Amino acid sequence: MEQPFSLTSELRGTCLIITTAGYVNNVGGEAIAVEFNRHFEHGIRHVVINLGQSRVVNSVGMSFLIEIIEHLEEAGGKLVFTDLDPAVDKMLSIMGLFQYAGREKSVDDALRALASAGKGSQ
Amino acid sequence: MNRRAGADTLAGGTGGQIETLQEAFRVLSGAATTVEHASRFRAVVGEYFAGDGVDFFRRAGGRWEPAGEGEVHGETDLPSPAPGSRDAALMDAGNIRLVQNLSDGSALGIRLLRRGTASPYSDSDLITLRLLLTVYDNTLREITARRNEKELIFSLNHRVLQLNSLIDTGIEVASLAGESPPHHLALERAASLTNASRGVSRVLRGDGTAEDVWFPHRASPGAGDGYTHMIESGFAFGGEQYTFQLFDRESRNGVIPFEETDKLLLDALARQVHASLENRFLHREALEKQKIDQDIAVAASIQQRILPASLPVVGGYDIAGVNIPSKSVGGDYYDCIPLADGRLALVIADVAGKGVPAALLVSSFHAYLSAYLEAAVPLVELATRLNRVIAHASTEDKFITAFFALLDPATGSVHSVNAGHNPVFLRRADGAIAELTLGGIPLGMIDMDFPYQSESLVMGNGDRLLLYTDGIPEATDDRQRLYEEDFPLREFVAGHTPGKASAFIDELIADVKKFTGAAPQNDDITALYLVRH
Repeated sequence: MEQPFSLTSELRGTCLIITTAGYVNNVGGEAIAVEFNRHFEHGIRHVVINLGQSRVVNSVGMSFLIEIIEHLEEAGGKLVFTDLDPAVDKMLSIMGLFQYAGREKSVDDALRALASAGKGSQ
Repeated sequence: MNRRAGADTLAGGTGGQIETLQEAFRVLSGAATTVEHASRFRAVVGEYFAGDGVDFFRRAGGRWEPAGEGEVHGETDLPSPAPGSRDAALMDAGNIRLVQNLSDGSALGIRLLRRGTASPYSDSDLITLRLLLTVYDNTLREITARRNEKELIFSLNHRVLQLNSLIDTGIEVASLAGESPPHHLALERAASLTNASRGVSRVLRGDGTAEDVWFPHRASPGAGDGYTHMIESGFAFGGEQYTFQLFDRESRNGVIPFEETDKLLLDALARQVHASLENRFLHREALEKQKIDQDIAVAASIQQRILPASLPVVGGYDIAGVNIPSKSVGGDYYDCIPLADGRLALVIADVAGKGVPAALLVSSFHAYLSAYLEAAVPLVELATRLNRVIAHASTEDKFITAFFALLDPATGSVHSVNAGHNPVFLRRADGAIAELTLGGIPLGMIDMDFPYQSESLVMGNGDRLLLYTDGIPEATDDRQRLYEEDFPLREFVAGHTPGKASAFIDELIADVKKFTGAAPQNDDITALYLVRH
């Protein structure tokens, strides 16, 4: 059964990597948004969110993810999701998040994709 | 875009004012939220009327509240638009107070305060302020429409997601190879699809014990159980009560009540779990039955190898036999075994009970019998030994009725022991019938050295011997009448004397089948027939 939400983050160059575990709901979504905003205010525009340990995301949590995507879009940045559980992948896909955000199998793949697009660095 | 520039332009024409309004429209249209929109409007007005104090108020529901960020200067002394009028304005003591009703039913009030030595506000300033308020209203409407459209798309996508997930969950919980119980997965999906902050599935067993599983996982269930809103669903299955409870639907603004569709969704998922549990139960039963069928098939195969594939050809005699089990594995046995000394052992036996246990006992009986016959154990002693070993090898309710005979083909002498079996009929060539009944109790009935008795006779030319099990006299028709009641076997033996032993067997079986008709065979049918020519 899904664990309570927790989050870690790291900066690799100019890219923010947020790794979550547990239910991405109102609490989880807000925690992600707070972490994102903290770095966004300091100019970070390239973000990778690793949801590998989050098998369940509700629509409130998703609304926070959408806001992050919108902020990055406006600022010319990019968000990439990685390590998605098939159910979460389908969920984000149906909700239309991949129209504006990327998805990769792993964080390394995401960093490579951002680097090759000239949008991030390692 | 400050007032001085604007005022100069306005004094000379409307070109600058239009530029100001266009810029205001661009800035306000770019706001993502109504809060940001209000802040931008405050900045636009503040910049245009540089150096002046600007207060903003919003009225929704009859009460004025400060709007946007920033200091509010003094009391709310705003004019009220006359009935039918869109706005109301006051210009006094160098201040402008303007109220404009907005298209969403609310009203926006602005108070421009004179400060310092700047020139007083003019009518042109009031006109500009009025136009800016109109731009504010229009852009607010656009932002609201954009937000509503976004929320509608989000809501529609979420409905699609719910339906899709309902289908996927149905497939997943129906999977018989699922790693976790179906109610765990259903709880997880129900909680996320309804935005419940948490949920629990409870299985209340018949013995009163309960298993609670929480989503998200809780290390110490029971702590912090308070909730504002809750929905639940459940069902009973297999003597257990399954209950799903979801607590406190989340929103960005805190906890809100669940919607009717949330309850429908939870009910649907609960029904899927119920169906899945039923399917799993039926699947398990089918697998168990399949396993039993496989065991029975193996036992039947063993038993078929025990029963004679063919009977020996003995000069001067004709022998035929038949075994028709009522189940795939029967409890009857017969054989005709040539012995080393030239005699022939004729055996028929019937185990109490059917199926695999009976077949296993027949197998033991066959093994011991073969060993004793090979060791030339005398017939009475053979019966005594078999009684003992069968008593040890079987449960209390299992025993074997049997008839053993040793025939010397050369002389026609028959030496026999009847261990609790049906009478064996000897039909003399002249039509007289004798019954061979002497022996003792069924084998294995009592664990003791029972003193069996034997009898002897001589078969002459034309004499016939019938060994059979009770499946023949006790065969029943669809009205549960016994074959023996209408057609005594003794009479059949007396009245049927075909030339070949196999013909007698065929006639006997045909007669029994004719009597039973479509009624199911309720016992094994076995017979061994011997004719001395």
